[in-house]
Amino acid sequence: MSDSTATVAASGPPPVGPDDSAPEVSGLRKVFRGSVGRNLGLVLALVILIIVGVVTGGERFASVDNTLTILRLGSVIGVVSIGMTFVIIGGGIDLSVGANVALASVWATTLATQTMGEDIHWIIMVGCAILVATCVGLVNGMMVAYGKIAPFIATLAMLAAARGLAEIIADRKTQIITVRGFLDSFGSDVFGIPVLVLIFAVVSVIGWILLNRTTFGRRTFAVGGNAEAARLAGIRVKRHTLWLYALLGSTCGVAAVMIMARTNTGSSTHGMLYELDAIAAVVIGGTLLTGGRGTIVGTVIGVLIFTMLNNIFTLNNLSISAQAIAKGVIIVVAVLLQQRIADRSRAVT
Amino acid sequence: MATAAPTHLMTMTGIVKLFPGVRALDGVDLDVQAGEVHCLLGQNGAGKSTLIKVLSGAHQPDEGTIHWIGQPVKLPTPMAAIRLGIATIYQELDLVNDLTVAENITLGHEPSRLGFAERRTERTSAVALLKRLGHPEISPTSVVGTLPAAGKQIVSMARALSRDVKLMIMDEPSAVLDQGEVARLFEVIRDLTANGVAVIYISHRLEEIRAIGDRVTVLKDGRTVATGLPAKTTPTADVIRLMTGRNIEYVFPPRSGQAFTGEPLLDVAGISRAREFEDISFSVHPGEVVGLAGLVGSGRSEILETVYGARRYDSGSVSVGGKALHAGSVPASVGAGVGLCPEERKGQALLLDQSVVSNVTLASLRRFALGPFLRRRKETQAATREIETLDVRPADPQRDARTLSGGNQQKVVLARWLLKGCRVLLLDEPTRGVDVGARSELYALIRELASSGVAVLLVSSEVPEVIGLSDRVLVLRDGRIVHDGPAEEIDESEVLGLVMEGSPR
Amino acid sequence: MRTRSTRLVTTVGIVVAASALIAGCTSNTTSTETSAAADAATTAASEAADGAATANDTPGEMVRIGFSAPAADHGWMGAITKAAQDEAAKFSDVELIVAEGTNDVNLQISQIETFINDQVDAIVMLPFDGAALTDVATKAMEAGITVINVDREFSSPFAARSTILGDNYGMGVSAGTYMCELFGDNPDAIIAEIAGIDSLPLTQDRSKGFADALAGCGLTVSNRVAAEFTVESGEKAAANLLQAAPKIDGLWNHDDDQGVGVMAAIEAAGRDEFVMVGGAGSANVMRAIQADDTVLKATVIYPSTQAADGIDLARMIVQGKALSDLVEIEAPRKVMLYAPVVTKENVDQYLPTAFES
Repeated sequence: MSDSTATVAASGPPPVGPDDSAPEVSGLRKVFRGSVGRNLGLVLALVILIIVGVVTGGERFASVDNTLTILRLGSVIGVVSIGMTFVIIGGGIDLSVGANVALASVWATTLATQTMGEDIHWIIMVGCAILVATCVGLVNGMMVAYGKIAPFIATLAMLAAARGLAEIIADRKTQIITVRGFLDSFGSDVFGIPVLVLIFAVVSVIGWILLNRTTFGRRTFAVGGNAEAARLAGIRVKRHTLWLYALLGSTCGVAAVMIMARTNTGSSTHGMLYELDAIAAVVIGGTLLTGGRGTIVGTVIGVLIFTMLNNIFTLNNLSISAQAIAKGVIIVVAVLLQQRIADRSRAVT
Repeated sequence: MATAAPTHLMTMTGIVKLFPGVRALDGVDLDVQAGEVHCLLGQNGAGKSTLIKVLSGAHQPDEGTIHWIGQPVKLPTPMAAIRLGIATIYQELDLVNDLTVAENITLGHEPSRLGFAERRTERTSAVALLKRLGHPEISPTSVVGTLPAAGKQIVSMARALSRDVKLMIMDEPSAVLDQGEVARLFEVIRDLTANGVAVIYISHRLEEIRAIGDRVTVLKDGRTVATGLPAKTTPTADVIRLMTGRNIEYVFPPRSGQAFTGEPLLDVAGISRAREFEDISFSVHPGEVVGLAGLVGSGRSEILETVYGARRYDSGSVSVGGKALHAGSVPASVGAGVGLCPEERKGQALLLDQSVVSNVTLASLRRFALGPFLRRRKETQAATREIETLDVRPADPQRDARTLSGGNQQKVVLARWLLKGCRVLLLDEPTRGVDVGARSELYALIRELASSGVAVLLVSSEVPEVIGLSDRVLVLRDGRIVHDGPAEEIDESEVLGLVMEGSPR
Repeated sequence: MRTRSTRLVTTVGIVVAASALIAGCTSNTTSTETSAAADAATTAASEAADGAATANDTPGEMVRIGFSAPAADHGWMGAITKAAQDEAAKFSDVELIVAEGTNDVNLQISQIETFINDQVDAIVMLPFDGAALTDVATKAMEAGITVINVDREFSSPFAARSTILGDNYGMGVSAGTYMCELFGDNPDAIIAEIAGIDSLPLTQDRSKGFADALAGCGLTVSNRVAAEFTVESGEKAAANLLQAAPKIDGLWNHDDDQGVGVMAAIEAAGRDEFVMVGGAGSANVMRAIQADDTVLKATVIYPSTQAADGIDLARMIVQGKALSDLVEIEAPRKVMLYAPVVTKENVDQYLPTAFES
C-alpha cells in the first residue's frame, strides 16, 4: 500500500484560499520555536536569580563549592521531577511521589536489607529501593489506566497508604545506614563532581532522549495531547499510561537511593511535600498540566530555580516565610512570561 | 389552536446571516402563529441551526427584522429571547447531569429567600410542571444524569415551561427517542398548543411532521423556498423536490465503472449493538467506495466505530481480507490495515499542539523505530512525502496541526493512513468543516485512493456527497439497513425519502 | 555540673523546678532495675533524691487514667507514649487506657469525650494543639476528672488540675549558656543555629532563649536557618547553611531527629572546625557525644519522660497524695522541667533515659 500511495500523485486542483499559504519560517524564528525559545522565560528567570545571587552573596554564591551544593540539593527532587514530567505530559498526575520515596528508602534500609547489603553487595539496597518504588508506580498505573480511577484520587490514596506502610515498616524510627560501601560509593566525587549530581545529569539526559528521540516519548505526547486520537490511531493508551506511572515510580526509587546517601538514613519522613515541589518545577518548566506539551530542559531549569532560590535566601540569612512568598511570586511570573512568549511565537508561525 | 383570525406570534422577514465566506442565511421568511406546530424542513447545511440560533438570541442577524406580537424586537442575548417567552430545546440537551430534576428545572431562577434555596417550593413547582407534561412518574429528586434520553427531554421542556413560554423551539427532539416516547412527546406538544403555546418543530421524519405539524416551511441554501404549506396534505414528492437540488454543485470524480465481483476486502456480517443498530451486513471490495446515508441517531457513526474496533459489537463478525478481526480492539484493526478518519477531527484524530509530522506518523511509529529510538530524519522524510502527495498546504511538516485549515487537517489524517498503508479506510463526515474549494480536492483524493485498491466506507450527512462519491449506497434508518444498491440507480430524493419515511417517496 | 545548673536556674528565673522533687517522691518505686524509664531530670538531681522513698509508693485505691497524645511520627513523640506506658506499668493501682496517637485535633477531642463518658479518674493529655483541646479538657474537669496537661499548654487555667511543661525557652538558654562558656572570650565567634519548624511557638521560644543567653556574653546568632524536624529537611538546611557560613565556631541544632541529616551534611561538606550542640537528647546523639569523634560535643535535653511524670502526678492527685518533700498538702498546679546540657563528662548519666529516634 505504501507503494501505491505514490500513484496517488498530486492530483488536487491548484491551491485555493489565501490562508493556506503562509510565509516561510526564518532561521531565527526556528530557533525560537525550539526548546530554547520555549523556555526563554525560564532562562530569563534563572539568569535574574543568578544575578541576584552574585550581587547579594558575592563569592560565597559564585563559588564552585556552592554551585555543587545547589546541584546536589536539587538532584533528588530533580530526578523525581524528570519522572513527573513524563506523567504530566501523558495527561496524568502523581501525588504519591514523596510517600513513594519514603517507602522505598525505608524498605531499602531495614535491618534485613542492610544485612544483605553488607553480606553480598550494597547494590542490593539500591535494587530494593528501585524495585519497591517501581511497584508502587505500577500499582498507581493500574489504578489509573485499568481501574479508571482519576489520577488525582488514585495517587492521593497511594500517598496516604505508602507513607503509612513506611511508618509501619520503620516503626516511625529513623533507620541509620551502616553499610559503608553504600555510603562511600554515593558520597564520593567523580572528577570533582558529586555522584548524586552525576546521577541527576544522567537521569536528565536519559529522560530527554526518551522523551524526544524514542517512540515511547512520541506516544507520551500523543496520549497526553489527545487520548482519544491516540486510541483511534491504534496506540495502546492504557498500557502506555501504566508504563508512564511505572517510569515515575522508578525515578522515585532512584531518588530514594539518593536521599539515603545524602542523609545516611531511611525514614518515613523523607520526601515530605515532594509532590508539590516536583509538580511546581514541572509546571514552571512549561509543561502543560493538562498534558500533551512539555520539555525536560524546562523541568531541569525549574528545579534549579527553586533550589537556587532556597540557597540565595539562606546565604542572605532570610526567613523561610519570605522564601515561600518568593517561591509563589516566581511560579506566577515564570508562567506568565512563558505564556507571553508562547503566544508570540505562535502568532509568528 | 389556530382560530379564524390567526394571531401572528412571531414574524421573521428577510433574515440574512453572514459568516466569513458564507451566507448561512440568505433571506429567510418565517411566521409562526400562536397555538400552531410549525415544522421546519431542510437538508443539512440549509440553515436550520443558524436560524434557531438567531431566534434564540445566540446569533445576531446581519439583515432583516423580527416582529414579536406585532412589535419589532431585537434579541441581543439568549436571555432577551427567554424573557420574551422563547424557549429552545437543543439536540444536545443542556442540562446539568449532576443536579436533580427539580434543581435543573429552576436553574437560573431558583426560588430563594435570603439567599437560601427554597427546596420545597422548588420541588412542588417541579412536580406540577412534570404532571402538566404528562410525566408525573419522573421524581423531582432524582439526578438528571440517571434519566433516559426521553426523560431528559421532558426535564428540558419543564425547564422551558417553568418560565412563561410562548414559543418553544424543538431541534430534532425525536432523534434520541423510541416510538413510544415519541407518541408521548406528541401528546405533550398537543397539550401545549391547546394552551396557546406555539412550537417550531424540526425533524427529518416526514411521518412525524404529518402526525403533529400544522404548517411547514422549507429551507434550502439559507433561503425560504416555501412557507405555510399544509403539513398533513402536501405530497411527499413536493416536499422532497423543494429540499433537493443545490445551487452549489460539487465536482465529483467519475466512478470507476467496474463491477465489483471478486472477494470483498471488508466483510461485515450481522453485527448488532443494543440500542444502536441491529443486524448490519455489507461488504466492501478493493477499489470500491460504499456510502452510508442516514440521519443523526440512525447509528451510522456507531457502525463505523464498531467496524473499527473502537466499540465492541454484541453479535456478528467483521473480517478483513477473509480474516476475522479481534472484536473491540483498535490495535488489531489497525494491524489488519483498517484506518478511521473520525467524525470529530479535532477531538478524535488530531494532536493539535503537535507538528504535522507527529500527526502523520502517529499510527506508523514502529516503522521508524530503531530499537526504542525514533529515526526522526526518516520519519520526517516519509511524512513530507505523504503531505506532498496529498498537497497539504502550507507544506511545512513542522507546523502545528492547529494552525491548518479544516481541509488540510483532514488531509493530514488521511496522510496518516496512507503512510500506514491501510487497505480499508473508514471515513466519517470527511468534509465537515471543510470549505467548498477544498471539498472537490478531497473527493478526488478519496477516489484516487480507491482506484489504488483501497476499500472505502464513507459516512456523510450530505446526501449528494454520499451518492456522488460512492459506487454503492447503503441507507440506514433506525439502526437498520433499508436499502443497498448501486449509486447510479438512486438519486437524492429517493435517498431522502428512504431516510425520512422509510420508503423511496 | 550542679553549680552550672544552679546558676542557670537563677539567671533565667524559671523556678518551679519541682521535677527533681517529683522524681524523688515517685520514681524510686518498687523496681530500681527498671530505672531506664526514670525521668531524665531525676538523674540530673539524683543525689538529692536518692533513697527518698515515701508513703506515696504504697498502693492506694485503683486509678483509671486515660492517655492521649499526638501521633508518634517523631522519635521524641514516640518515646513520650512509651515512657508513660512503662511508668503506669510500675504501679499495681494504675490502669492506663491509651488512645491511638493522632495529629487530628478533631479525633483527639472525641478521644477525650470518650474518656469522659467512660468516667475515668484522670486524663493525661499531650494535646496536638493546646488551644484547640482546652474546651474539651475543661468539660472533663467539670465532670470531676483530674486532667494533667503535658508539654503544650491549654489556653485556660481551668482546663487542667496540673500542668507539666518542658522548658523550650530554657533549652535555648542552656544551649546559649554553653556556647558562652566556650566562646564567651571571643566576641567575633560565629554562632549558627538550625531551628525546627519556624511557625511553632516552641521553636520561637527556643530561639529566643538561645539569643537571650548569647546576648549575656556579647554574642549573637550570625546565621539561622529553619528545618522541619525531619532528617531530610535537616540535611537540606544544613547544606545551605554551611555554604552561607564558610567558617563557624558554634552551631546549635534544635532537634536531634533532624540532627541526623545535619550531621550527614556536615560530613559531606567535610567540615570540622566548629562545635555542634544538639537538642532534645536522642540516644544516637548521646552515643556520638560519648564517642567524641564528631563535631557533636553536647546536647540539651527536652525530657521525653514528661508524660510519665504526668501519670505519677495523676495517680498522686486522685489518691489525695502530695509531693511529700514539699510542705504543701496538695500537688502543685504547674511543673516546669529542667533542660540540662549533656556533655562527654556527664553523658553516662543521661544515656539510659535517652530516646531512640
